[in-house]
Amino acid sequence: MSIDIVAFLADAIKMATPLVFAALAALMTRQAGMFNMGVEGMILCSALGAVTGAHYLGGVWAGVLCGILTGVVTGLIIAFAHLTGKTDLYLTCIAFNLAATGGTVFIMYLLTGEKSTTSGAFRSYQIPNINIPILKDIPVLGRILSGQSLLTYIAVLSVWFVWFLLKRTRVGLRIRSVGENPKAAESVGISVTKIGYISFLLCGLFAGLSGTFLSMSWVTFFMKNMVNGRGYIGLSAQNMANGSPIGSALVSLLFGATTSLATTMKSQSNFPTEFLEMIPYLATIIAIVITSIYSINKKRRIERGGK
Amino acid sequence: MKKTQQIEAIMEVVRIVAGLAIAYLVALLILVAISKDPVFIVRQFILGPFSSPRRIGSIINLAVPFMLCGLSMCFMYAVNKFNLIGESIFMLAGCIITWVGLAIGNSLPMAVMVPLLLVIGAIVGAVLAFIPAIMDRKLNANVVVVSLMLNAVIAQLALYLLRYFMRDPGISFIGSYETPASMQLPMIFGKMRVGSGVIIALIFVVIVSILFYKTSFGWKMRIVGSNPKFATAVGLSTLGISFAAQLAGGALAGVAGATEIMNSYKRFQWTASTGHGFDGLLVAVLAKRNPILVPIGALFLAYVRIGADVVNTSGDIPNEFISVIQGIIILLVAAESFLSGFKNRLIYKSVQAEKESAKGSK
Repeated sequence: MSIDIVAFLADAIKMATPLVFAALAALMTRQAGMFNMGVEGMILCSALGAVTGAHYLGGVWAGVLCGILTGVVTGLIIAFAHLTGKTDLYLTCIAFNLAATGGTVFIMYLLTGEKSTTSGAFRSYQIPNINIPILKDIPVLGRILSGQSLLTYIAVLSVWFVWFLLKRTRVGLRIRSVGENPKAAESVGISVTKIGYISFLLCGLFAGLSGTFLSMSWVTFFMKNMVNGRGYIGLSAQNMANGSPIGSALVSLLFGATTSLATTMKSQSNFPTEFLEMIPYLATIIAIVITSIYSINKKRRIERGGK
Repeated sequence: MKKTQQIEAIMEVVRIVAGLAIAYLVALLILVAISKDPVFIVRQFILGPFSSPRRIGSIINLAVPFMLCGLSMCFMYAVNKFNLIGESIFMLAGCIITWVGLAIGNSLPMAVMVPLLLVIGAIVGAVLAFIPAIMDRKLNANVVVVSLMLNAVIAQLALYLLRYFMRDPGISFIGSYETPASMQLPMIFGKMRVGSGVIIALIFVVIVSILFYKTSFGWKMRIVGSNPKFATAVGLSTLGISFAAQLAGGALAGVAGATEIMNSYKRFQWTASTGHGFDGLLVAVLAKRNPILVPIGALFLAYVRIGADVVNTSGDIPNEFISVIQGIIILLVAAESFLSGFKNRLIYKSVQAEKESAKGSK
């Protein structure tokens, strides 16, 4: 069994892209103090929105726009239920994800008559891959870093954008202050609800990009349940990185590598596929255990130091 | 003050009924909008489930796993832990009792076999629920995320067991060998073909209701869920109680999986997670975490599902639209501000009236 390391790493970056977007989406609401599990369903809806938009409007960019728009609209639906309707956020998100799983199949069936994939009925559009001029000529690095999807590079920029937004702008400061202590924020005249909506809007933007990547770059069609837990994995990634954009991206990269490992091994060995399918999820659980133990120990150390 | 509480209780019921009505209307609207023959389809959706004794029987059969899963989620929901591990426990418990049943064969009488398999299912459930529960208790890990990730892992494990240890090569689909007759629950009520699993489900409704409302553990659990700060203040171990509740919920999900296999299947043939865990959550939300109301929620859900199936077979409307309706129901019932203005006005009026009458008597 031989593994092409370079191809493996390039694949890991590709697999990490939707996770990075998912993590950023979850991060936006987390910074405003809301644990948004609905990211999973939002990504699923966006993936369908993107291919549908591309098919009916006849263009890649229309598809990207529709994907993002779907993400934003679904984000606002959750925000409306939670912030205006005062529902429990966990329950809202579970209900939303449930509805998204069935709803996407339902809409797909209405549009195409198919229940599992749009690959036959919709024309496929792919977001172009970008070759970076000088980088692509460097032997190993070029093959890994160059020639990725445009959205992968946007993901890298997004990490910087989120960091800048949160740390260097007024809106970012407000979002963080609402997340830190909503009552204190309210007492100085910040509308918690308004900031909540803004954070869900940004969350929808990134969830939309994640979905668009899945259905227009990873593959070029929508299929039933194609998100497959990526939203939850991204959510755990940002949780582990404690809400830091750069940390979240790095953890996502690690999870991308485990997904890539599973796919590589599936094609190269006759190990029962069931166990390979488990790898990304098991890796997430193990990572949660490790980071939790670490943060608990750290807390204990601080407590002991305080004595 | 009594009056206020009365209004609160009545409004709670009104809210649930209104939520269901709205969701049902949305379902009808969807059907009317996309169907070529709306009158026929709507009739089928509403009356179809009652059109034959066989269909009424299938409503009850479908309600059996919903009831048990609803009870399971009542435990999780009562302590406010959205531990969704029940989803995969249901699948793995069904898988493991099939395996054990195949190994034992017909050597044991049904009166021993069924309780034995239920206990095994419960143990599988409690062991699996232990993982997210202990991570929640000791590591403060998010129980929702951990349980969802575990679901993906456990579903693959069940599939692996099915494919490598009990697959019957003689049938065209992936399924186990046929289970021994001693673990296939007999049918009751003649023509309706209701499995006797419904008796098991009702027994558990009674047991759980007693546990919830007649024991100190049930009382503690409800306090921990509804007012954790008060619970800590009076010296209850919040972590310990919610941990125990999650284990109990897991055990019930295991019982649910075991009952479903014995009640409705001759082989273990689930190749993907069945969604019963989430259905259980919906039932628990509808029943407002009250085990006595669980059968009603379960029957309603089963009725809507069978209605969707009837529509699916007699028209060309995919039954997936039901999951959208389910989502809407959960949202409306869970939304605190849904109809809250109306409730507050009622309470305000009654208090005003009381004041007036107090003045009058002076």
